Amino acid sequence: MHRALLEPYQHRRSAIHRLPAGLKAGGALAFVLVIALLPRASWTAYGAGAGVLLLLAGLSRIRPRALALRLLLVEPFALGVALLSLLQQDGLRIFAATLTKSTLCLFCMVLLSSTTRFSALLRLLWRIRVPSLLVTTLALMHRYLFVLADETACMVRARRSRTFTQDRASAWRSSASVIAQLFVRSSERAERIYAAMCARGWKT
Amino acid sequence: MHIPDGFLDAKTAVITSALATAGLGVALAGVRRTLPPRRIPLIGLAAAFVFAAQMLNFPVAGGTSGHLVGAVLAAVLLGPGAAVLVMSAVLILQCLMFADGGVTALGANVFDMALVAPAVGYGVYRLLRRLVGEGLRGRLFATAFAAWCSTVAAAISCAGLLALSGTVPLRVALPAMGGIHMLIGLGEALITTLVVAAVARARPELLLERTGPRLRPRYGELAAQGLLVALGLALFVAPFASSWPDGLEQVAATLGFEHRAAATPALAAPLSGYVIPRVGSAALSTVIAGVAGTLVAFGLAWLLASLLTTPRSRGARPGGKGEAPRAPRAA
Amino acid sequence: MNALEVRHLGYHYPDGTTALRDVTFAVAEGERVGLIGPNGAGKSTLLLHLNGLLPEHPAAVPTIHVFGTAVAEPQLAAIRARVGLLFQDPDDQIFCPTVWEDVAFGPLQLGLHGAGLATRVERALEQVGLGGFDERLPHHLSRGEKRRVCLAGLLACEARLLALDEPTSDLDPRGRRELKGLLEALPVAQVIATHDLELVVELCPRVIVLDRGGVVAQGPTAELLADEQLMLAHGLERPHILRHRHPH
Repeated sequence: MHRALLEPYQHRRSAIHRLPAGLKAGGALAFVLVIALLPRASWTAYGAGAGVLLLLAGLSRIRPRALALRLLLVEPFALGVALLSLLQQDGLRIFAATLTKSTLCLFCMVLLSSTTRFSALLRLLWRIRVPSLLVTTLALMHRYLFVLADETACMVRARRSRTFTQDRASAWRSSASVIAQLFVRSSERAERIYAAMCARGWKT
Repeated sequence: MHIPDGFLDAKTAVITSALATAGLGVALAGVRRTLPPRRIPLIGLAAAFVFAAQMLNFPVAGGTSGHLVGAVLAAVLLGPGAAVLVMSAVLILQCLMFADGGVTALGANVFDMALVAPAVGYGVYRLLRRLVGEGLRGRLFATAFAAWCSTVAAAISCAGLLALSGTVPLRVALPAMGGIHMLIGLGEALITTLVVAAVARARPELLLERTGPRLRPRYGELAAQGLLVALGLALFVAPFASSWPDGLEQVAATLGFEHRAAATPALAAPLSGYVIPRVGSAALSTVIAGVAGTLVAFGLAWLLASLLTTPRSRGARPGGKGEAPRAPRAA
Repeated sequence: MNALEVRHLGYHYPDGTTALRDVTFAVAEGERVGLIGPNGAGKSTLLLHLNGLLPEHPAAVPTIHVFGTAVAEPQLAAIRARVGLLFQDPDDQIFCPTVWEDVAFGPLQLGLHGAGLATRVERALEQVGLGGFDERLPHHLSRGEKRRVCLAGLLACEARLLALDEPTSDLDPRGRRELKGLLEALPVAQVIATHDLELVVELCPRVIVLDRGGVVAQGPTAELLADEQLMLAHGLERPHILRHRHPH
């Protein structure tokens, strides 16, 4: 995955961006629940939902191309699962309805993550009392995602620079050892982070 | 395998969310009780690690590539409770940040990939470790087969959920998802085993099993998780058992549908064709194909473990091994 | 009262190798001291002792005192607030999702919250010249900015003794200059472990040379660093800046 793709949030000065994260997350959840749990083929409701999302997207001032790109990235998964639904009676209708539903929900989540910082969502999870161990894990994960992605890219590059064969077996072996190395480094870094947390008075 | 929004109906979404919450709660409580504070950052780092590892591509054929899922890898490296937590965190982040996997399907995805996958995987792993002993070969063999089983189990669970929602009929979902993932599982097993072997070579102390008094409460958690998994699976087996003949009758009654239904899984079947001809019942042939696939995977896992542990005298390829350098910065 | 007193400190790694032996020195209040020596001399290990992260099993007789208080269990929380440890890799030290939360981490552990916490964080960020960086994500910062966030995290705890591990490594000249200016302006005692000998000459009137876990020399910086033999014997070099000052 590209480095830029790791960061869905796009900063703009818009009314949507300024809305409190709780409102946006709550709204997105409500929207997804309604759309996902509507009976199949409620086409007017789908149309209305699409209209709302397009309006919000317009207000957010994010380039339509950027939104479309993110949507295109996740759409194939939905399409793949939806294809299976073709193989039954009335398959085409189920297929069309399911795909429409999932596309609307995907669009909604893409819009949420493009206009809301993940750190704000984390604070929201704290506030609604999601177990702290889970939130801590998510926060650390989000923080070190970028560090680890950079480390992985470096290791892959270093390996590629001294690999001259192209056969699949060695590609697998080398990717696997990158992963192993990444784990070793992650656990070493975890030790140092623990020291840094204690150094600033962390109480367990 | 991430189910998007819109594929599950209300009852399935609610049931799986409840199961996922309960399972994650058990895992959280267990981890909080048994994990020494100094390993708490490791859980977060491990989640980032699994996410980063999933981004690495493994070339398969014809320009396509696969990637690691990591449930068994996490379970073998960190223990089952931590693996549940790590995989859940990965799925939650993917859902919230990247719209990868639906919000209403988050419970289902956590159930499949963060509960069923590590629980089945770790169960198989422990069982095999007890049977084949403590050596590296036994560990790698158990890892390989556990990774395969966990992938297939998660796929079967996913198929069951889709069928329970009435989105995809089980007679299509089960062979298609099961068949494809019996193949994908081979890749998962290979990657997981290669990684565990490389970690064992570079830093064997990271793999030391924590034994002693802490083991006892873990069995209780494992049992609770196993119960949840069984409960969930039972929910899908029930319609499976009752609707299968109906499905068949329907096939016979309607459009000569079986050609299409059989054509899809055959694309991906690990055997020459998933549906073995000349066996009367489709259900029976699916079971036979499943058993045969499992035996093949078992054999391949053993072969892989043997290959990776026989001392290599010829051609120690530079750059091909995990010569992870120790980097003690605080020295 | 001295800010820091270390008396006969010794330490062995869990595998038995000696990391520190018989280390004795003191740092006066507000004094800046350079800690130099080759790689593996024990500089980082020594710094980890200053707020009790090491040893794993505390010694019977405390060997380190900070502002007169022994670095030992009952007072450890208070000690850790007073001793700010700057780690070598800022990515290890900044573990929170945003700059604001990271700087607030220490004060939060001290029990601060609400407006008191906010002013503490604001002030610390202003002090390092990062006012308005609250919502920034750590991985969007330059290395120099990351160092300054780490420093702000320590200042927010109102640390009175800073132990800095390679503060200028991997900084570009501007980042280094800015950090140097910051350290110079801070009125707290500082122990700076570094290979950046020019920095030591510029900031620290006094220097401690550490090699193989032991103190081999301590005294006025200009004197010790100009001693070519001493420097070469311990994997160091006479800095250029001193060559120009004392031409032979």
